[in-house]
Formats: sequence, C-alpha cells, structure tokens
Amino acid sequence: MLVVKDVSKRYGDFTALQQVNMEFNTGLYGLLAPNGAGKTTLIKMLATLITPSEGEIQYNGKNILEMDEQYRDLLGFLPQQFGYYKNYSPKQYMLYLAALKGIGKKEALQKIDELLDKVALSDVVNKKMKKFSGGMIQRVGIAQALLNDPKILILDEPTAGLDPKERARFRHLLTELARERLVIISTHIVSDIESIANEIIMIKNKQLLYKDSVEKICATLNGNVFETTIDFDYLEEFRKKYVLLSEKQEYGKMIVRFIHKGAPEMEWNSVPSQLEDVFLYEYRDVIEGEE
Amino acid sequence: MMRIIINECKKALTSPILIALFILFSAFNIFVIISSSDHKEELKMVNEIIDQYGKDITDNSMERFESDIQMDFAELSRMTGSEFTSVYEFLDGLRFEDQEKYNDEQWEFFNRLQLKEMYLNTAKSIDESYGEIDIRKTAESEIKKYGLSGNAAETLMNEYDKFSERFDEMVNNGEHKQWFFAGKAYFMHSFLFKTVFLHIIIEALLLIVLSTALITTYEFENKTHLVAYSTKRGRKLMKNKLLASLAIATTIIVFLFAITLGTFFTVFDYSQIWNTSISSAFNWEYNFPYVAWWDLSVGTFLIGLIALVFIVLLLFVGLTFALSVVVKNSYITFFSIAALFIFMWLLPSFMPTSSILLFVFAYTLPTLLLAIGSSFMGSSGLIMFENFEWMTISCWTVITLAVSFMSYIRFKKIDIS
Repeated sequence: MLVVKDVSKRYGDFTALQQVNMEFNTGLYGLLAPNGAGKTTLIKMLATLITPSEGEIQYNGKNILEMDEQYRDLLGFLPQQFGYYKNYSPKQYMLYLAALKGIGKKEALQKIDELLDKVALSDVVNKKMKKFSGGMIQRVGIAQALLNDPKILILDEPTAGLDPKERARFRHLLTELARERLVIISTHIVSDIESIANEIIMIKNKQLLYKDSVEKICATLNGNVFETTIDFDYLEEFRKKYVLLSEKQEYGKMIVRFIHKGAPEMEWNSVPSQLEDVFLYEYRDVIEGEE
Repeated sequence: MMRIIINECKKALTSPILIALFILFSAFNIFVIISSSDHKEELKMVNEIIDQYGKDITDNSMERFESDIQMDFAELSRMTGSEFTSVYEFLDGLRFEDQEKYNDEQWEFFNRLQLKEMYLNTAKSIDESYGEIDIRKTAESEIKKYGLSGNAAETLMNEYDKFSERFDEMVNNGEHKQWFFAGKAYFMHSFLFKTVFLHIIIEALLLIVLSTALITTYEFENKTHLVAYSTKRGRKLMKNKLLASLAIATTIIVFLFAITLGTFFTVFDYSQIWNTSISSAFNWEYNFPYVAWWDLSVGTFLIGLIALVFIVLLLFVGLTFALSVVVKNSYITFFSIAALFIFMWLLPSFMPTSSILLFVFAYTLPTLLLAIGSSFMGSSGLIMFENFEWMTISCWTVITLAVSFMSYIRFKKIDIS
C-alpha cells in the first residue's frame, strides 16, 4: 500500500534519516521514538510537506509526489503543532479546510457536525477557538484530519494536551478508524499505542530499528528483564552496573526493574518484558542525554 | 476554487489594521479636498464660459466674449458713476471707506467681472506667450539644470527635438486654445493629479502591500501551514492567494478612488471641462505649460492616469507576492518592499550624468507613480520621454510575471516545516 523506499533526508551536513525502508497496510502503526529521532521528518515526508533527499515514497506503486493532489486527497494529517485561526470557530475553520480538501460546502457542513460530535465538541461549534483549552484544540485537529474520510490518517503526537479521559476516548476512536484505513501515530508516550497498535515502528540512529508487533518487539528482551529489591544505599552502584528501567520505593527499600543480558543472580525475578522496557533500553543514551 | 479565494479574501477584509487604515485614509483624503476648496465657487466661471462660448477659444468666440464683457463694463460704469476699461482699474482706485457703498450683489458682480477679465486677458495673450516658447532653449536649460553631458545630453536633446515637432503640431491643432481653470491662480492640475493622486497612490500602496503580504504569509504566521499545504489543494493554494490578493487590491483601489475622486468632483465642478485638452494654455502653472505627447482631453487624461495607477499597483501585488512567498513574514515583506521602492526611486541619482543609464534607471514603477501627474507629458524633465509610461509598464510587467512565477515554482518544491 504505502511504501517508504530507501528514503534519506539531509539538511545540509545534518542527516535526519538514512536509508529508511518500510511498508504500511491497513491498520494502526505506532511510530515510537524519543524527540529528535526523525519521527516528524518521516511524517512530514509522508504528508508531502518535505521531499526526500534520496529514495521515494510510493502509494500503490506510484510516487506520492507525482500523485500530488490525488495522493493528498487520500490523506488526513494532524501535525505536531496544530495551528488554527484564533478568531475562527471550529466550524468556520473546518469549512475553510474542507474547501482546501475539495469538499463541497453542503457535504462539509454535515460532516463537520458529525465529526465535532465525535470529538465531543458539539457544544462549542460556533465559539471562537481562542477561548479553547489545549485539549479542545487538539480535538479540533483530530476532527479536521478526518474531514475527507482519509484512507491514510497520519497523526503526529495526537495525545499532547489531552487528559486521561480524553486519551481513553481517543484510543477507542483510533481502533475504530484503523479497521478500514491506514493510521500512523507518532508518539513518545508508550501507553498511547501499546494496547492498540498493530505494529510498532522504532527509529534509532536515523535508521529503522524495529517494525513489528508489540509481542515480537518485546520478545527481543525476553529473559533479560528482571526485578529485585535492593538497599537504597546500593542504588547508585547498581545504576552503574545495569540498565535500570524503573525504580520505586517500598518499605525503605528500592524495587528496581532492569536489564541484564548475562546469567542472572539468585535473588532476581525474571519478569516478562514490556514495550516500555524496550523503549527505555534502546533509547537509553538519548534519554539520559535529555535528562 | 471560488470558495478558497473568498476565504482568503476574508482574511484581509477582517483584518482590523487594514480596515482602520482604510477608514483613516479615506477620511484624510476627504479632509484634504474639502480644506482646499475655498475657491470652488470661482472655478465655476470656466464652466459658464464654456457653456456660453464653447470650449474652443476662437476669434469668433473671443469677439462674443469680449463684447459681453464690454457690456459688463458699461454696467460697471453705471454702478460706479465713472468710466472704466478694466475692473482692476476700478478696484485699484477703490478706497477702503468706499467699499461699503456697494451691496453684496454688486460685489458679486465685481468679482465675477474680475474673473472674466482675467480669463479674457490670459486667452488674449496665448499667442504671444506660446510664440516666446523655444523648445530647444528649454532643452538646453534642462541639460544645464541637471548638469548633463555626453550621451545623456544628446539623448535628451533628441527627445526634445521630437517634442518640438509635437509642440508645433499641438499649437497648429489649437489644443492649447481651450478653456481650463487658470493654472497660475488655482493649480488645479497639480492639486488633482499630483497632490490628490499621490495621496491615493501612497495609501493604496500601503494597503495593498500589507494585504498581499498578510494573505500570502497568513498560514505561516498563524502556524497553519502544515495543515493547509498538506490538504488536497496543497501548495497550489498560493495561486489562490495571489488571485485573492489581486481581488483585494482591486477592491481597495476602486473604493479609494471612488471615495476620493467622488468627493473631489462633488466639491469641484468639472462638468464642462471634461472635453478640454489637457494641453490647454490655461493649464500652465509654473515655467512651462503642460503639453502632452498626444491630443488628450481632461477626461481621457484622468482615465489614462487611473488606468496607469491601477496597473502599477497590481504589479506591486505581484512583486509583494513574489517576495512574501520567499520570506514568509508579512512585516519583513512590508519593509523590504518599502526599501525597494525608495531604492528604485533613487536609482537614477546614482547614475553618471553623462550616461543614458540615467534615463534607463528612471523607467521604474516608483518613479512612474511618484511623478504620476506628469505622465504622458513632454514637459516633465528627465522622464519626458514619449515611451516612458508604456515602456515602464511593459518592462515591469515582464519582470513581475517572471519573479512571481519563479517564486511560485520555488515554493512548489521547497520543504515546508
């Protein structure tokens, strides 16, 4: 369906992505990587906003840049920073975007009501967006991406600004949408996609690291994730020795979750690996760097 | 398509700064016109003269005019009890305390007679004044004034030779022997075609550059570019933005002209003047009368000037568009266009006075706009060239189309992030 073929993107001397290959079919794909890993670059290329320096992206065998309007007609896109006109109501703004998407006014009006209802904004259809909260704006963003009933839906950090209740509703909406279309969600929050994604894509060192189901990705660390209880004083030393995934305090001691790829010690409990573990393990340098 | 353009237009039409400026400019223009209208009643005299004697100053019409004035003199003598051959004679001899001897109606009569006499005397002296005009001498004095030498001096001299032929033709046609408001008394040509037009031009230019930059950069400034340019319409949206900018510019020009010129022609009565030649001897304000390269009436000249302004302003839409697509910031665009405007206007002054580049680099839109009242004239100094207007417009149309097109093609390819 949608194929990324040997795609590289360079900005002068800086390489954002190198020789990336992947394929997307119907279903939900979670693009998981820390900030700055090239997620947004890939997504903007999929949205035809930026052009690959090398390689190409094809939809059903045709270069998406050559398909031009024909491709973007199939596309729904929510960028990471969703811009809006402050003095417009969601309805006015979506009517404008509907015009850009080539949707007739009558059809658009009906669709806008339907979508704003779906994202629980039907009470504020005609209110100016400058009074909206971050979560409300984000929901307008999600609604506008669905205006043209896209075959390909790309959402860059869609859950930013949403509260837990909204996130849950959003996950539900996505599962429903992904039944008959390709949905790509980029995020650095594992829990957003862990339970709903058909496949997870991870990018590391400008290249594709994993593109597989959650189970298979987790399996890469099977038998290497442990939990144990240690003294608080020992924590520093422990940190230096092993890759720590999480730590929590209990009864004056520390329960630590960590990765070890050799023979385990007696008091360690082997635990099943989770997507979060893989994420923390693979991106440990980047994450530590950020901290 | 149409819905997109309307939506783009709405962005400019709902901009508070543009609306406020438009109202302010319109009010200012109305104020300028009304505050310079003290002599509007006196101007009606020319309309009356044309009404009675026709627009052409012929021997026959002059005879009739003069004999009517003789009758007025008789009336003057009857009123005052002394013989006068000129109303000025009477007025000069009038003592301060005698002024109250005459009622308002009589004063009205004196004033009207004074005007008639002024027009009659000027008309009588046309042949003499025009006989004194030596185009070659004018050319020499222009060359001296600007310190021209070499090629530049030669080119200007050649153009003046050509103009000399036109001048003779104009005199033979009698274009100069038509009634118009006395130039040296009222400066109506300068007021309308220089002052008022210049106001309209500067104001329209500000509004147009601002609105074009606003529409073109709107998505980038509101950070909606990622959404807008990834829709089906994609980057072709820029084409709609250009069309919307042209539509808004047209609206601004039409309304600004309608309000300003509407006020002007309501205040000043031009009803009988439209067909008078713009090269009328009365249209002589400074050292040299206005003499057009072609036989143009006041009405045609006005329409020609409006058309020129309209075209040049639309070209500025194109130039602003080309620049703002590249810089993506309305303020930077605005100030860059302003700087470019001033630079192009000053360009000839950087050129050697011996080279024809001095003239070539005057073929710019700012020079054309700022000297709009001298358009189509052979009496306009260094830009007196017959081909000045159409050459400037043609060259800049090509330049504007080229830069707009290149800017758009570049935009179709660049990364939007």
